Amino acid sequence: MKKLIAALLLALPLFAARPISIKGSDTMVIMNARLAEAFMAKKPDTQIQVTGGGSGVGIASLINGTTDIAASSRPIKTSEVDKLKSRFATTGYAYPIARDGLSVYLNTANPVKELTLAQIRDIYAGRITNWKQVGGRDAAIILYSRENSSGTYTYFKDNVLMGKDFAPRAQTLQGTAAVVNAVAKDANGIGYGGAAYAKGIKFAAVKKDDKSPAVLPTLENVRTGAYPISRFLYLYTRVKPSKDMKAFIDWATGPEGQQLVTKVGYFPVK
Amino acid sequence: MKLKWIGTALLLALPVFADEVPTITGEAIDAAAARTQEQPRVPETEPGSDEIPPGTPTTPSAEELNGRMESFGEAFTEMRNVVDALNRTKFSGYLQAQYVDDERSQDTLGGTTGTRNLDQFSVRRARVKFTYQFTPTSRFVLQPDVTSSGVTLKDGYVELTEPWTAWKNTLTAGQFNWPFGFEIMYSSSAREMPERSRVIRTLFPGERDRGVMVSGLGLGERLRYQVAVVNGTGTGRSDDLNEGKDVVGRVGYSFGPLDLGASLYRGSDLVATSTNAAGVEFDKERQGIDFQWVTPVPGLGVRGEYITGKQAPASGSTRTESFDVAGWYFYAIQNLGTRHQLVARLDEYDPNADVRNDAVRTIGGSYIFHWDAHSKVMFAYEKPDNEMNDPADNVLTVRYQYSF
Repeated sequence: MKKLIAALLLALPLFAARPISIKGSDTMVIMNARLAEAFMAKKPDTQIQVTGGGSGVGIASLINGTTDIAASSRPIKTSEVDKLKSRFATTGYAYPIARDGLSVYLNTANPVKELTLAQIRDIYAGRITNWKQVGGRDAAIILYSRENSSGTYTYFKDNVLMGKDFAPRAQTLQGTAAVVNAVAKDANGIGYGGAAYAKGIKFAAVKKDDKSPAVLPTLENVRTGAYPISRFLYLYTRVKPSKDMKAFIDWATGPEGQQLVTKVGYFPVK
Repeated sequence: MKLKWIGTALLLALPVFADEVPTITGEAIDAAAARTQEQPRVPETEPGSDEIPPGTPTTPSAEELNGRMESFGEAFTEMRNVVDALNRTKFSGYLQAQYVDDERSQDTLGGTTGTRNLDQFSVRRARVKFTYQFTPTSRFVLQPDVTSSGVTLKDGYVELTEPWTAWKNTLTAGQFNWPFGFEIMYSSSAREMPERSRVIRTLFPGERDRGVMVSGLGLGERLRYQVAVVNGTGTGRSDDLNEGKDVVGRVGYSFGPLDLGASLYRGSDLVATSTNAAGVEFDKERQGIDFQWVTPVPGLGVRGEYITGKQAPASGSTRTESFDVAGWYFYAIQNLGTRHQLVARLDEYDPNADVRNDAVRTIGGSYIFHWDAHSKVMFAYEKPDNEMNDPADNVLTVRYQYSF
């Protein structure tokens, strides 16, 4: 009996409260950190750890069991669901937590104010290489993009480039903040990323086609669907959330959490 | 006895040693933002003084700055080219080290390998997969297997993917898995038992062949098809013995938690018989159905496969027709949290449907402990029985695996 008690005592750390981990999208990392902090302030006995790395990294961590929640700025892929099925006998659970207008960043000195989706596609595919081809100065366009583990990269490629490849000269940067920073310093630069990262740059108004109106990624335009490049930002879990995880997700998707989402610069889900 | 208790306690406490990850907090974000706003302080001087105080950085000329920028630009471009090339090359792999305790083992130097000592440590698989992808429309894959028995090529193929439709139709040429059923294409690094089921090991030895394959994914990525034309000799030989080529394919559909698949193989084997040393063509046919179901019970998944077909006899046989064969397997996998898995597998293979009592049924189970994201330990036990008796051929396997 004594031995049994000793063994149980040694195993006690197993039953200690473990922090909830959220890993993934760099686009969502600031929003998730703010949500986690606000939630922990309300429930001090709950611990939430937030890390970035990209949507692909987050979902890979969900599959290999090293995170409780994956943050992703793109929907989970079929191949990733297949891995979840085989490894954990689950198809996963998706919780849209915010909407994002995927913004096209321009330097504030750039006279170009609006671009059609086709022009953006041609710019990033390398078919349009000079700003004068889209009504700007006679200067080479400098492309800034994201690494391929980024959900933003995948979303942009699938929905703007329509699956086509980026021009090889597009510079790959780690994180949306790095793209914003590069465009802010480069008068001929163009980048893309979340609407929440708007410091030192301006957004291009996007036209669905030549005849459509130019639309900025504002709250109203993203909510009504008028802005043509908007997406959901997701939290994915392996199991149906319970206890603290459920409380956090319920709170984040509820009125208080959604208010904070808006404050960070994204848009509420509903 | 004491040691046993300490061992149990340590095993229970294993998850405590899990890796810790750095946390991003709102405070950290604010602090980083503040740091970027800070400007370097310049030492103060007397107003009107021409003297440059010590420690004041000298201002470089515009020409110097341009030169530096250009050299930074060149260095950056070079570095970026290297990083881009590295990004396009991906390495993954795994190593399985194991100890096997097999009841068939005999301490003798005579007889065949199968009747000698089988209780031993070994490196079962050690594979590194190299993938190079310059564009999304083509891919190079090479996967050698390096074990104590030597080096063999497992996968070696090129893929070309059409960019025009959502189906992403892909042409694969080289050496690859037979597109048949579930277990053949399920990686040995992920499989929950040490080896594949007997029916798969017998009808698809080596699980791979050489040829060309067309595959695609449609209907909202729910439908997957694969059709291949292959030599039919597998990878056990370097050549193809007959002129005829075999056709193999699978169609699978996902209903969400339930995946269903149907597979077909049609071909022939050239085998020397007792009356014809030059060889006789025997039918080689397989048809099968497979499923995988994520049950409503949390963490419980089941999967299975049923295959029938015709199998050529061994070389030197007096037979003039292939054997009618059949087999199946069924897995139940229960996940307990993220680190523990309990697995039960039942499988059967009947090598000749015309003969009674020759089928071999194996009941097996395993416990898998996932040490961390890359490594796991498997304890597996298998008990094969034929329909008449239970020979002493049970196998215990303890396997450690590291994958990356």
